[in-house]
Amino acid sequence: MKKRIIKKIDTSKRNFLTGSATLAGVAAATSVLPISIAKANHEDSDPKGLPDFIKWKNREALIVHSKKGIEAHRSAIGESIITPIRNVYIRNNMPTMTDAQIGDRNKWKLSVEGVKKPKTFTLAQLKKLGQTTIATVLQCSGNGRGFFEHGPKGSQWRTGAASCILWTGVPVKKIVSACGGIASGAKYMTCTGVDAPKDLDPKKATVERSVPLLVYKESILAWEMNGVPLPNAHGGPLRSVPPGYFGINNVKHLGKLAFTETESDVKYMKTSYRISPIGKKGPEYPSCWEMPVKSWIVRPTDETGVVKSGKVQIAGVAMGGTKKISNVRVSIDGGTWKKAKFVGPYLGKYAWRQFVFEANLAPGSHNLASKATAGGDSQPELRYENRRGYAHNGWKDHSVNVEVV
Amino acid sequence: MRICKIYFVVLFFSFFLMTDLKADSEKMVLGLEVFNNKAMCSTCHVLKAAGSTGDIGPDLDSLKPSEEQVRSVVIEGLGVMPAFGEEGLLTSDEIDAVSYYVAHSSEK
Ligand code: HEC
Repeated sequence: MKKRIIKKIDTSKRNFLTGSATLAGVAAATSVLPISIAKANHEDSDPKGLPDFIKWKNREALIVHSKKGIEAHRSAIGESIITPIRNVYIRNNMPTMTDAQIGDRNKWKLSVEGVKKPKTFTLAQLKKLGQTTIATVLQCSGNGRGFFEHGPKGSQWRTGAASCILWTGVPVKKIVSACGGIASGAKYMTCTGVDAPKDLDPKKATVERSVPLLVYKESILAWEMNGVPLPNAHGGPLRSVPPGYFGINNVKHLGKLAFTETESDVKYMKTSYRISPIGKKGPEYPSCWEMPVKSWIVRPTDETGVVKSGKVQIAGVAMGGTKKISNVRVSIDGGTWKKAKFVGPYLGKYAWRQFVFEANLAPGSHNLASKATAGGDSQPELRYENRRGYAHNGWKDHSVNVEVV
Repeated sequence: MRICKIYFVVLFFSFFLMTDLKADSEKMVLGLEVFNNKAMCSTCHVLKAAGSTGDIGPDLDSLKPSEEQVRSVVIEGLGVMPAFGEEGLLTSDEIDAVSYYVAHSSEK
């Protein structure tokens, strides 16, 4: 076969062989191109299966941006407040630790520093200090990044890098008292994950996050999530939960709890996760800490199918970050706002609330929007433009357009 | 015979592109070299075309970044990924080549 091709080149197409495109050039091209360009052009896009470490997740509920960036469909965060664990988004800075790396979960170690009596506890010992359960919204700092028009780097989440979780663990207060109190001068609670691979620079790869000291009073270190032992993919066997704070501050694979005078100087604290204007970056900008008030509709949406005209239940979630949500209003015409009803149990100010608004929708296109208020702050109409596309809570981008028939 | 005709047609058109293809292939070769050796993108990323299985960053086959997207992150860095451009770790030709290579190699 090959011979025949070469013959054709030689005999009939000689005039197309210019000085630079010699037969050697053809050989070079064929040695590199078939693997790459051929693949790029001729293979169907892959089915985007789930990666091994989260094979147990619900594929239908999820949008796979990459094998490290997976969010729930807008309509898949659950309509009973708590997000089904198989639908909870995945966003891990470091590779998830394996069972082999973790070993016996009860022997997992946590060192506590910046206290009067520094100590190291095993998970089994922590379980003896105390236990509580809290519901919090777990949301990636970049949730809503997909709406930014300047194309910020990172997963293009829209609404699904968020969930409401029931965590069980030990209150940090109990650990503090077991260690004789916080050392004087501390201004931050700093949590350190031990998931950074050994061959990376620890200053760049260690996920270590500081939050203002007083957050410790409400924080827990969790070993259970929605009724099951904390899965490795979500930071098992132990994770910090500073309620109302963005996901990154909920440090996975937690190995150290410290009370520090300064913020951590690792990259993930110092320069990453800073909310800076487009084109600027640096440690002087605010860190992704407290989540702002936010809400969005989960049904109906363009994902949930055709909407029949007449009476429609518009359902969604509303969160106040660190503040109690006071109300949520819904608009079906992009302008007039009416109060929606909260439904279901109140699980505390750190959980989101389910809301329902009953509307009569006529056939045609409708823009459905929701706007929540918490602690006197209402969601703004527009996003706050920033370099990395963090902390989006503008109501307009989060509205949905539905066709009613 | 028919197969021959197809080859003929394919070759006919590809020769128009020959000069381009050669420049392309050189870029692909340099891009692969940068990806696997000089910048060691391979230690952190999956890219089947390069045979790499790194598990720190997103797998590039499923991410399918555009050339511009690769260029921008290679220049500025992101999270644990070094800022190869800003820190002067790669030349602008190398950045061009590796961006081109990744954008044309991830499984589209
Ligand atoms: C030390 C590990 C490491 C190395 C080396 C590395 N990367 Fe990355 N890369 C990452 C991580 C981690 C992310 C995701 C960061 C995030 O989302 O916070 C990333 C993200 C990316 C992205 C996606 C950016 C986006 O828009 O979301 C691309 C494309 C990429 N890297 C390409 C490269 C190329 C090309 C090289 C080599 C020149 C390289 N990487 C070298 C770790 C690395």
